Amino acid sequence: MTKIHILPSEFKQKLELQMAYAIKAGFPSPADDYQHDALDFNRDLIKHPEATFYGRVDGDSMVEAGINDGDIAVIDRSVDASDGDVVVAFVNNEFTIKYLDLSHKADGYIELKPANKKFHPIRIEDADNFEVWGVVVWTIHSWKR
Amino acid sequence: MYGIVDCDNCYVSCERVFRPDLNGKPVVVLSNNDGCIVARSNEAKKLGVKAGMPYFKLEQEFPGQKIAVFSSNYELYGELTGRVVSIIRQEAPQYFRYSIDECFVYLDGMEQIDLKQWGEGLYKRIRKSVGVPVSIGLAPNKTLAKMASHFAKKYPGYRHCCLVDSDEKRKKALKLYPIGEIWGIGRRYAAKLEAQGVKTAWDFASWPRDRVVSTFHNVVILRTWAELNGEDRVPNEAMAKKQSICTSRSFNGMVKDLETLKIHVSNYAARCAEKLRRQNTVASIVGVFVNTNCFREDLPQYWKFEEATLPTASNSAVTLVKAASELLSKIYKPGYSYKKAGVIVMGISPDSPIQLNLFDINAERFEKLKSLDAVIDRINRLHGTETVILGAQQYPQRNAEGKAEVFANAIKHDFRSKNPTTRWSDIIKLK
Repeated sequence: MTKIHILPSEFKQKLELQMAYAIKAGFPSPADDYQHDALDFNRDLIKHPEATFYGRVDGDSMVEAGINDGDIAVIDRSVDASDGDVVVAFVNNEFTIKYLDLSHKADGYIELKPANKKFHPIRIEDADNFEVWGVVVWTIHSWKR
Repeated sequence: MYGIVDCDNCYVSCERVFRPDLNGKPVVVLSNNDGCIVARSNEAKKLGVKAGMPYFKLEQEFPGQKIAVFSSNYELYGELTGRVVSIIRQEAPQYFRYSIDECFVYLDGMEQIDLKQWGEGLYKRIRKSVGVPVSIGLAPNKTLAKMASHFAKKYPGYRHCCLVDSDEKRKKALKLYPIGEIWGIGRRYAAKLEAQGVKTAWDFASWPRDRVVSTFHNVVILRTWAELNGEDRVPNEAMAKKQSICTSRSFNGMVKDLETLKIHVSNYAARCAEKLRRQNTVASIVGVFVNTNCFREDLPQYWKFEEATLPTASNSAVTLVKAASELLSKIYKPGYSYKKAGVIVMGISPDSPIQLNLFDINAERFEKLKSLDAVIDRINRLHGTETVILGAQQYPQRNAEGKAEVFANAIKHDFRSKNPTTRWSDIIKLK
């Protein structure tokens, strides 16, 4: 059976001081020494807020990668795209989410690969003028609709 | 050393972040109400599209040309340029945001660093992270930094960053810098200088000080002259924090009746209150102005401004809307066709602790208003601006779906783009 660890978490925009130790009167709490900031998605998962954008997955071209129709993709533009990354690219006048395949770069082309047998890879012949819009660092899937 | 970071063709560049297909193509952005052209891509400039050209002339003067047109979308431009500033904040020891698309930086204490390399790195980081191109000028004062950014923008050889750090470079640049481009010299003074044979910044900088004084009797011009000669004279306070906030709009058509004017003014006041709350400040003075269309010489003309001091400085929508409505009732005169109105708030200070006035000591009401505003802000942030508004802000007209029009739609914006960074409903679709 899969074990699930439950961790205390908190989701908020601003990090605030949890306690002002100095002005407390009376006997200090023994827990003070163990004070630790709560987990915070915005702080811990979004490494570059000024480079982070969100996208909504439309369709099931990446379904075998666990990326489903309606999922939210967290896109970081500041990350350099590497071979095998899930990326967002602008092709044929639309944004698309695919695996980046750089293995044919020496042959003069790169591929954007879907994760669904029903879809074909998109071949980019003019690799020099092609720009990855951003790298997908997380996807968020809602299990309760 | 000072620096300025300037977003290239800012509004156009912001639109292109989510429309990469428009890179390399002519693009223009229109003013509020889709009146005239306020931003042009380099390609549009090359075609001969002039800044300020009324939109209706575009089709007439450039028939058959494919020019992408956008209504201005300040929600998008504000968010994206905010990201640019947040990168600058991380990279520079001190910064000051001068306008939506320009940010000054103070580089004291960075003498050990190769500044040219630093600037190029900053450009790269902004370009990649946000997607907006910038030009960076670095020089011993603000006027020369502005000049340097002009060269960074104009010549690709600078790789988006121009550093003027020697007398030799300064002189060379001044000789290539047209007098009309100098920061701090308006069109009127530029014309006066040109009439005296001054063509470049160098021509002007070479004037003796006495001649500058006797020709202009103007401290600002003298300061600019001194800065062109390498002195650091424009005080930082001259660019200090905004001391007033204004929300005003030209109407789509003319407005004659007080009721409609009141709805507009209520919306401007509510917007001012929102801006105050966003920067954690309160205002103690509220002003309202109205004016008729000065281009319609065939119609009677009227212009009036009136201000009032609030009993207690406030950033509450309810308080500011009430004050602005009362002022409007005072200055409104029937029989005129109004073209524009606006609300200005002044006497701005940090919002806590607030000095409660002795005669306005209803602390309970004060707290209630505060939590009401907090709820309104939260709902509107989550569900989009104007999901919740005050009754006074409600327009009676109905849109196609039978819903009452909101403020954002009361002005014309036929070609407005989406807001993929501020509304969940607008985030980009990934196929």
